[in-house]
Amino acid sequence: MNTDAAAHPRNEPSRTRSVSSWREHHGWSAADSLRRLAARPLGSLLTIAVMGLALALPLAFYLLLGNVQQMGQALGQDQAINVFLQPDQGESQARLLAKQVGDRSDVAAVTVKTPQQGLDELAKLQGFSGALDALDQNPLPFVLMVQPKPGLDALAVERLAGDLRDLRSVAQVQDSGAWRQRLDALLGVGNRVVLALALMLALAALLVVGNTVRVDIASRSEEIGVLLLVGASGAFVRRPYLYAGIWYGLFSGILAGLLALAIEFALDGPVARLSQAYDGKLHISGLPLWLLLAVPPAAAALGWLGARLVSAWQLRRAA
Amino acid sequence: MIQFDQVSKHYAGGHEALSQLSFTVPTGEMAFVTGHSGAGKSTLLKLLGVIERPSHGTISVDGQNLAKVRGRGIPRLRQRIGMVFQNHRLLMDRTVFANVELPLTIAGLARQERGRRVRAALEKVGLLSYERQLPATLSTGEQQRVGIARAIVGRPSLLIADEPTGNLDPQLALEIMGLFAEFQQVGTTVLIASHDLPLIKRMRKRVVVLDHGRLVADLAAEEVL
Repeated sequence: MNTDAAAHPRNEPSRTRSVSSWREHHGWSAADSLRRLAARPLGSLLTIAVMGLALALPLAFYLLLGNVQQMGQALGQDQAINVFLQPDQGESQARLLAKQVGDRSDVAAVTVKTPQQGLDELAKLQGFSGALDALDQNPLPFVLMVQPKPGLDALAVERLAGDLRDLRSVAQVQDSGAWRQRLDALLGVGNRVVLALALMLALAALLVVGNTVRVDIASRSEEIGVLLLVGASGAFVRRPYLYAGIWYGLFSGILAGLLALAIEFALDGPVARLSQAYDGKLHISGLPLWLLLAVPPAAAALGWLGARLVSAWQLRRAA
Repeated sequence: MIQFDQVSKHYAGGHEALSQLSFTVPTGEMAFVTGHSGAGKSTLLKLLGVIERPSHGTISVDGQNLAKVRGRGIPRLRQRIGMVFQNHRLLMDRTVFANVELPLTIAGLARQERGRRVRAALEKVGLLSYERQLPATLSTGEQQRVGIARAIVGRPSLLIADEPTGNLDPQLALEIMGLFAEFQQVGTTVLIASHDLPLIKRMRKRVVVLDHGRLVADLAAEEVL
């Protein structure tokens, strides 16, 4: 009989061998946890589906909110600030003022509308042509149509309108600031809702993966007991469960990304029709690529965290 | 060397499993701990494996006070102790080879070294040809030998066994005890809890007798009749 196993003194592993063995165990744990997921496809798919849906919801809201914001900006391009000059202001003064206003950093463009152009527009409106014929002179002033820089928030636009109102040669300023303010406020609420929803659903995903790993650990308590008795550390025992959490998270993140793309695809047609109604000014913007790429690793990290918290608690009880 | 110094163990509810137990097992000695059911044999082994802690007293293994072994020190200590259980405690979904390999994987040994040692241990217990089988396909005696191979593969300085022959026929039980004796001969300290008196007598090793948690006799090998 070979007495090799008992005859030699215990050999402590060298550091290099330990690192290589540690890496090998990581590889084994990753593969083994994946095999275990595949061994019970229905349970694994359900967990991944629940997590995927939970993560897709904030993405869908983010997509919706982003597009509402973009639509607001697109429609807002028509919402120029109309600056009515004093009746005594002539064309040269109007053009000079238009240049001064146009030089401001918060102004994209300024168009001068002459009194004649204003009159012509009025004449096109039904019921006005007769009334205008009765006028012996044009009562309309020069109007500056000031287009704020795109992306300016409601407060900045309001500040711009206030500045224009303060100009001596200006009689009246007509601004659709209230409309912008309401949209901005609504988008602010929406952003908060999406953030709160994302946090709550991330917590839900954390609990889902945590519970799945808890059940997994409970069903393998005998094996864990053996591992601890033969000298396994907590980290060694935990490793396959952490990888299981990572797999659940990664796959659910991929699913969430695919669901978000499907929603984007589904919205494409109706938005195109809506865009046509607005002279092609509306365009649906998809989720940014960085976000789509970031979701799976972020979800994997979430899965790891859920598994880490639960396994640490379960193993403390087992030890 | 194992040293028990005035060790007591009380469980919740007041049950006293061990009472002021003091004895020493020198390095390289093989000893039996015997007594009726409930005498405290299993508790004694659990204290050695730091599965439980004593209520009073001090336990040392190779000069290390087990009371000071905490946290990450526990798995390191267990890697130095080979444990054999009555119910084998094998992982039934892993092959014989993987079961025996487990302590070496935990210890961080390289694959080649692990393979060499596992085959040596399996050869030692006569199961080399079973390495690819699952434990469920083996007999009870063979499963116990897999458990022994797993206990010795890490070359522990101390081997403890709790009723290792409890489910085996007398001939097989004697063979298993012979294996333990071989490990003792190469310098491993062996402590076996057993209530199989005829077998203990045949082995002619030191016997520590417990009764209701107290040490009632400590017989040297030559005193065992």
